[in-house]
Amino acid sequence: MHIPDGYLSPQTCAAAYVVAVPAWAIATNRVTRVVKTRNVPTLAVLAALSFLVMMFNIPIPDGTTAHAVGAVIIAIALGPWAAVIAVSVALLFQALLFGDGGVLAFGANAVNLAILMPFVGYGVYRLIAGRAPLTSRRRIAAAAIGGYVGINAAALATAVEFGIQPELFHTASGAPLYSPYGLSQAIPAMLLPHLTIAGAAEAILTGGVLAYLARTDPARLAATHRDVPATAGEPAPAGGRRLTPARVSLGFVAVMVLLTPLGLLAPGGAFGEGAPHELNLGQLGLHAVPAGLAEYNGFWSHTLLSGYGFHDGQHANLAYILSAVIGIAVVAAVIFGVGTLVERVARRRRGTDPVAEPETA
Amino acid sequence: MGGTVQASRTPDWLLRGEPGLCRCGPAGIRRKGSFVEKTLTGGADLLRQVMFSEEIAGRPGLLQRLDPRLKAVSLVVLLVAVGLVHHVGTLVACYALTLLLATASRLPLAFFIKRVWLFIPIFSGIVVLPATLSIVTPGEVVLPLWHWHGAPQGFTAQGLTSAALVISRVATSVSLVVLLTLTTPWTRLLAALRALGVPRIFILIIGMAYRYVFLLLGVVTEMYEARKARTVRARRNDRAARGFVAASAGALFGRAGHLSEEVHLAMVARGYRGSPRTLHAFRLRAADAVAAVVVLAAAVTIYGGDVLVGR
Amino acid sequence: MDGSEPGADDLVFSCRDLRYAYLGRFPALDGVSLDVHKGEKVALLGPNGCGKSTLLKILDGLIFPDGGTFTAFGQPVTEDNLEDEQFSAGFRSRVGFVFQNSDAQVFSPTVREEIAFGCLQLGLPTGETAARVDDVLAMLGIADLAERAPFQLSGGQKKRVAIASVLVMNPEVLLFDEPTAALDPRTQAWLIELIADLSAAGKTIVLATHDLDALDVIADRCVVFAEDHTVSRVGTPQQVLTDRELLLRANLIHERSRVAL
Repeated sequence: MHIPDGYLSPQTCAAAYVVAVPAWAIATNRVTRVVKTRNVPTLAVLAALSFLVMMFNIPIPDGTTAHAVGAVIIAIALGPWAAVIAVSVALLFQALLFGDGGVLAFGANAVNLAILMPFVGYGVYRLIAGRAPLTSRRRIAAAAIGGYVGINAAALATAVEFGIQPELFHTASGAPLYSPYGLSQAIPAMLLPHLTIAGAAEAILTGGVLAYLARTDPARLAATHRDVPATAGEPAPAGGRRLTPARVSLGFVAVMVLLTPLGLLAPGGAFGEGAPHELNLGQLGLHAVPAGLAEYNGFWSHTLLSGYGFHDGQHANLAYILSAVIGIAVVAAVIFGVGTLVERVARRRRGTDPVAEPETA
Repeated sequence: MGGTVQASRTPDWLLRGEPGLCRCGPAGIRRKGSFVEKTLTGGADLLRQVMFSEEIAGRPGLLQRLDPRLKAVSLVVLLVAVGLVHHVGTLVACYALTLLLATASRLPLAFFIKRVWLFIPIFSGIVVLPATLSIVTPGEVVLPLWHWHGAPQGFTAQGLTSAALVISRVATSVSLVVLLTLTTPWTRLLAALRALGVPRIFILIIGMAYRYVFLLLGVVTEMYEARKARTVRARRNDRAARGFVAASAGALFGRAGHLSEEVHLAMVARGYRGSPRTLHAFRLRAADAVAAVVVLAAAVTIYGGDVLVGR
Repeated sequence: MDGSEPGADDLVFSCRDLRYAYLGRFPALDGVSLDVHKGEKVALLGPNGCGKSTLLKILDGLIFPDGGTFTAFGQPVTEDNLEDEQFSAGFRSRVGFVFQNSDAQVFSPTVREEIAFGCLQLGLPTGETAARVDDVLAMLGIADLAERAPFQLSGGQKKRVAIASVLVMNPEVLLFDEPTAALDPRTQAWLIELIADLSAAGKTIVLATHDLDALDVIADRCVVFAEDHTVSRVGTPQQVLTDRELLLRANLIHERSRVAL
């Protein structure tokens, strides 16, 4: 997940810094203004914690590893701006102490993991949790889903940054200068482990820590949960559920669709430069992607893409948009699925509770 | 009231000797350490490595003598130059240059090379391999492996070039970063960042976070060891370890919060009011000016030479 | 109850009927009054959780009582007063606090920066700060640790650094929370000697402790807390140590403990 130097062009890294530097400035400003002195040790300890979380590489059955980041739980406890600083500092350590993640690429890593991730994750959390009490299952599920969506948003952004490299930057003979994988390969390759293992790790971490804090130490959540009742003392109003899983996933789709063109606007206008190499996407779809996905990919690339003149110079834009659409659709579908599941569980619990309560009361 | 009452409350089974819940002798079953254990060992390594780095940074060598601010700026300039290169040859030359600098700075060369290349097979080697094939990087097939719809498929010149470019670029970039971090004590590096305009509050947070990484690592290690000492037999190591991570993360978060409150009080007690002040002052010397010129010339040569070779 | 002696002009701290509860629910102090005079050594004794640490934090202006008044050097110490830059700087430089947990107190990347922290915050020029840091390092025999990072230090070394970081500000009053807890015997002996020396140099010392062995060296006056968060007895170390009933009640000794006098 941490992009090393050499995988992104200096131009892309510069563009990332253009996004990251103002975000750091705003974050510093905001965090310093809110609580004057307390924030420094808190952020320092959280940064150390996030660094440790990233150190714990969880083995994935395929032999590689994945790790959680902790950005979303920090955003939930102290607000997304605090998470921006804490995770940025943790990433800086990774880069300087471990050589994990580059120095030029630090801006890009920060944009993905320290800016995009906490904001997306926190937004999803707020949307799903609504005004549910602190210790309620819905709020914990909201945190878990927030963590899950957050890390996947970061993975998607990383994949897009990788994926635009071969089209934008290559030698005269067509050899990619930096990351050699196009969007149609980078997006599934990044999202697959994150939709499964790393996403699950982040979800467990975020939900688990929130549950722990809500139960034992609610004071630590006070900064971001002022208007939230502490316990399920009062029953949630019937009309209080403003957010259905469908709405949340639609919201995600909207945000990502708005963000997608940024990839096309990224440095240079080198798309139609008549690169001599032919990127045959139909063929790509069949073979580039590791075994499991090949069938699925092959299906749509043949039925949907083969007729669209992918052999001319315009393929890059289309390929980009298509892969983005697929990536977004997959994540949205997962949000929808998990949301529906949570809702169903919640409804079932609510269905049984009224029966149980009169007996005890 | 203490003594006798205490003794009578002790359950019988605790006072009786017991041969142990299972036998102590070896049964020939060994389990590999879980990922948590590996990470914690890695943590101890990190500590050792950091102390070793500090020792190297104190040696009298070429890069150790230079101003940390200059080194930080030079690193960025050189990284950009290396990033813009189009030819593997240029990158290999740059890599050779980093080895030269490492020797001049009295870094143990074997350690330096190992430190850089340990990462490369993991992060780049495996990742880049498929890209050498025509299915990822289309182009001139130099070594056909199979055929698809009559077209030969296999390693392409473009794919091989690309893989070589990525690997040599990553190796050179990582080497440059390692050169900086191994020849600059951590605190000087922080002070240099401060001098280069990173806000003071950021520097304070970074410095403090660095200090507490090791403390929290100790806490996690303790929690893990305490649990391990109580674990008699675990079914599957990694699953148990995953459970441990989830359970301890919450407790750790709570402890970290408590710690940060204590630190806050300790800072306030010594007059901290929200705008930290630091001790460091830098002085540029003649050697630094010379080094700056050399770095700029090197960057121009790297980029210019690469352009001259042809695009 | 407060055992104050005549002569209010040498009064350092004056606490009247202090009340404090954590999160508004868990009482830590329940009506505690105490005067501390210049040059005195006061030991706070009592069971764990009786409010000794809370009282020290109030004396250092880190937390503020829910009820009662606290004045230091003749001025009331409140959250509002400490917002004032001049008052805050004055108070912080006159009162130093050595925390029980050295890990919380030693937070800087190196020992040298740690010790310089307080002086720099209070606006001392860098040159003078650096000179003072060197002096304190030499005085406590830790000059060789100056460039070390805190994680490279042993518990005893960390305690020395924590004390150095407070002494460098040359405070009139020193507060110690469980100074000898979890230290090896040699560091303990060193610390007890240091406290005696500081007292001889005219510093006022307030410490919370369980250490009865050295009580007559580190204290002129003992304030014994009861488990109900009130002061149950004030007296000289001699008076307190001979009152076996009191020591048992305050959980300072066990039935089978022998108090060496």
